[in-house]
Amino acid sequence: MSTNEKIRFDAIVVGAGLAGSAAAMVMARAGLNVALIERGRKPGGKNYFGGAIYTHAIQEVLPDFMERRPPFERPVTEAGFWFLSSDGGLTKMMTSGGKLANEPADAYMALRATFDLWWAEQAQKEGAFLIPKTTVTDFIRAEDGRVIGVITDRPDGELYAPVVIICEGVNNLLTQKLGLISHDLVPAHQALAFKQVLSLPMETINARFGLPDAQHGVAASVLGDISLGLPGMGFIYTNKTTISVGLGVMLETLIEYRLKPYEVLQRYLQHPAIAPLVEGGQLLEYGGHLIPEGGWREMPKLYTGGAMVAGDAASMVNALHWEGTNMAIIAGKVAGETAVVAHQRGDFSEQTLARYEEQLREGFILRDMKQYRNFSKFLDTHPQFMDVYPSFLNDALGNFFSAYGKPKRQLFKEIYGSLTGRRPLFKAVGDIISMGRAVLGW
Amino acid sequence: MTTRRFWAFIEQEEGHAHPVSWELLGVIRRLASQVREEAEAAGDEVVVEGVLLGHNVGHIAQEALCYGADRVYLLDDPVFTHYRNRPYYKTLEEVAQKHEPEVFLIGATTLGRDLAGAVATALRTGLTADCTQLEMGEVKGSPQKLLLATRPAFGGNIMATILCRQNRPQMSSVRPRVFPMPERNPHPQGEIVREAVSVTEEDALSRILEFVRPEGESVNIEYADVIVAGGRGLGTAEGFGLLQQLADALGGVVGASRPCIDAGWIGNAHQVGQSGQTVRPKLYIVAGVSGALQHKVGMQNSDFIVAINTDPDAPIFDVADVGIVGDLYEVIPAMLEQLAARRKARGSGGGHQEVSA
Amino acid sequence: MFHALVAVKQVPDTTNIRIDPETGNLVREGVPAIMNPYDAHALAEAIRWKRQLGGKVTVVSMGPPNFVVTIREAIEMGADRGVLVSDRKFAGADTLATSYVLAETIQAIHEEDPIDVVFFGKQAIDGDTAQVGPGVAVRMGLPIVTYVVKIRELDLERRRIVAERKTERWTEVIELPLPALLTCEKEIAEIPFAPLPDLIRSLRYDPEMWTMSGPLEFDKGQVGVRGSPTIVFKMGTPPLPEAGEKIDAREVGVAEAVKQTFAKADAAGILDTVLGGAR
Repeated sequence: MSTNEKIRFDAIVVGAGLAGSAAAMVMARAGLNVALIERGRKPGGKNYFGGAIYTHAIQEVLPDFMERRPPFERPVTEAGFWFLSSDGGLTKMMTSGGKLANEPADAYMALRATFDLWWAEQAQKEGAFLIPKTTVTDFIRAEDGRVIGVITDRPDGELYAPVVIICEGVNNLLTQKLGLISHDLVPAHQALAFKQVLSLPMETINARFGLPDAQHGVAASVLGDISLGLPGMGFIYTNKTTISVGLGVMLETLIEYRLKPYEVLQRYLQHPAIAPLVEGGQLLEYGGHLIPEGGWREMPKLYTGGAMVAGDAASMVNALHWEGTNMAIIAGKVAGETAVVAHQRGDFSEQTLARYEEQLREGFILRDMKQYRNFSKFLDTHPQFMDVYPSFLNDALGNFFSAYGKPKRQLFKEIYGSLTGRRPLFKAVGDIISMGRAVLGW
Repeated sequence: MTTRRFWAFIEQEEGHAHPVSWELLGVIRRLASQVREEAEAAGDEVVVEGVLLGHNVGHIAQEALCYGADRVYLLDDPVFTHYRNRPYYKTLEEVAQKHEPEVFLIGATTLGRDLAGAVATALRTGLTADCTQLEMGEVKGSPQKLLLATRPAFGGNIMATILCRQNRPQMSSVRPRVFPMPERNPHPQGEIVREAVSVTEEDALSRILEFVRPEGESVNIEYADVIVAGGRGLGTAEGFGLLQQLADALGGVVGASRPCIDAGWIGNAHQVGQSGQTVRPKLYIVAGVSGALQHKVGMQNSDFIVAINTDPDAPIFDVADVGIVGDLYEVIPAMLEQLAARRKARGSGGGHQEVSA
Repeated sequence: MFHALVAVKQVPDTTNIRIDPETGNLVREGVPAIMNPYDAHALAEAIRWKRQLGGKVTVVSMGPPNFVVTIREAIEMGADRGVLVSDRKFAGADTLATSYVLAETIQAIHEEDPIDVVFFGKQAIDGDTAQVGPGVAVRMGLPIVTYVVKIRELDLERRRIVAERKTERWTEVIELPLPALLTCEKEIAEIPFAPLPDLIRSLRYDPEMWTMSGPLEFDKGQVGVRGSPTIVFKMGTPPLPEAGEKIDAREVGVAEAVKQTFAKADAAGILDTVLGGAR
């Protein structure tokens, strides 16, 4: 290949993660010649971390996904909330059976190292061309400023395509270069999530979590006394032979109280209800992750002439909330579809790519409305929520249940405290389970 | 009656024997003794023999007898003035075919490693590299004891015992200092047999144009007897100056862990570890190295390890014979002081043993 | 036109190995496979000379089909042709059987397209035997230089190569007639960061697959387990080193800590030996 010859594709995707491979898959299936550029030696890299993968999102991109043997860890057969009290107590509000017994399950735990690799392979099977070990450093622009390609860190490293989809992950340098996301990180608008992956024998995990086998798994959000009484939320979930535990705290809070994330996590792990579950686990990985607070409502503009941004890079993924993986996959898909439309029209301008954001917002708003529709029905049958828990409704629903929407301060402990002050705990538990069913569709 | 021959390759350069040759004679004698009973029962004879190639090296053949050879085959010819692969391997192939040794050990030096693979291939036999244990042992289905050659695999995490059932000789290479130096007998009984040399200069297909002897900053840590190694904990490149003082006092060289190389504090010839050199000195003093696996696999076979680290939980202490929890900038000066006091007490000039004789 | 052949092996990245703290066993899962680093440096040198003299570089590897990744990596670095010799019957080969298959393969390539220099890494980091290079040289009747740190001269007209080889004692400068076989140290060349067009070509490259059924005829008795005189008799884990004594200089004082340390070294007979004392 002569170096004078320009390397051209119909579309370039930067980053072979959940969003990137979804975008590549959709475009390649539509017949586009797609370059999927990955910084690591292979997709997923050495990442031990994982998350819940919702099958409905996968299905939207890849209807026959189960036949392609996805490398899932455990299905989520038990989901819900654990409340830790400062005296060492634990109250669980968990759901199992019902929809959680579906086959295939609605959600599976997966480790990024294996899942991302498989997911990218599906994109390759559709015809996308994976270019590993290459980092995109900048864009090539036309005279009118439109993006018409990318520059990589390799010699002779320019690639041309009329449309570029950025799925670069949380280090969103390219998104910043496009001028779509501000450089400034304000602590008040950031949460810090930190987590650990601990290795334990499969049988030990089964026994400690009361699971019959590795075809059952627990995913719990952990509230209450987990973060030295400060606003925060934790999670714990089971993989085949590892347990992922972590929590998120507002960055502002960490700074204000001079807390080290690791200490906060250690305290959480030493809580009498958590310690026996993780005891003896070998630490495989520890890491932190900034979560932009805004949620989708405050997402930046996601497109410009010749380029779109999806996934973590666009603050769509929330490391704590399990729905982040959905958003990444769906956003990748919609961005890919938009690129296909742009090719059909032969127009890659900002106006054409605006479709991406329109569709995305529409999709999320619709989904949200659906949740609230259930919710209003629920209120009719549970009037105590209107009478007894007004503050709970305001704070908890506003802050927590709407996909980490727009919490000013997630004072879960206070919420919990105010709740139990007004209604006996056992009744509150029942109410919350009912509400959970209504809102989250358990 | 047959003769079971146990061979050691006697390595020399410029008329100086490599001490590994004597170590090999020590081992091969022990191996021969392990089959003596079995051989006597069968009416066979067991002999320990050395093979020596070189030019004007009769004195080394004599020395080989002192270190335990019953017989030394001497191939003395100008073509062997300097080691070259082809004349050496072709000649060894020839003498081995003539005498049919049962076991043949070669030192795993640069020279020996260059040679052993070629000889084994020429003889179409098995060769186990870098053995750390050698025994003659009974193996099911074999009328005679076989050489059980054990070597580390995967960075020393697994020991594999390898045997060569059919083909002969059973060959192994052995790193210097893995086995002890045998006693020297000043009045040996054995004989020196001069063998005819058939290889010629034309067969060599190579010419050595020159030897560039190291000068100034040259270090060969792989075969050093004493290594004083430093890591990130030194804090600065200047820290190696202190290590060099200690290395000088002990007649050793300076080693380093990977972060120091990456930081450009010292050249990569000094690097000990998986991606650097594997070393097994008699004494390894290591300061300011936390003890990543990458470093440990390169040095954990040292005879005696002294680790100095401020962190009492540093993993380097797991492989150390003695660990000193303390600041290297206090400990090393104290070492220098006490070594100087010893030297004074002994009244010697502080000279150290010449290794490559 | 220069024709270099480079033999490459795929190995587990032993710098990334982890040890199970309970069993002391190697954790093989998730250990990435890489091109043997010594081979990679040898290949880089071959490619450097190709760019200087004009010509081409062929790489050969023996191993399972997933070694394709390593051949592609060689193409990425600038190799022109890749041959993967792969057959189930080759499995379990020791160094003698490996050198047979490689020598036959390289010889066949040489006969169709004469080779000037055969490059090997000095050893593979997973086995550390350093036997296959010399073995191939013997089988092909090629002159060999091992532990090469530099090629001083490569003269295709006068059919000679001058290489520097590093030993414990010195650096030897050796002249050999071509074709010759070299086994290389890492210093021989830096591995360049491949240009994007080369990477893209490599990702699309499918190496030639040579098997027992062709194009060469391999002797069944000389390949794989049957062609291997050595067998693994047993495997074991070495006893975990017993951690020695820890002396806290902050408690006993630095001078005392050093004194105790030296006393232990004396008891082990170490200090006397290294100081050349009591002999």
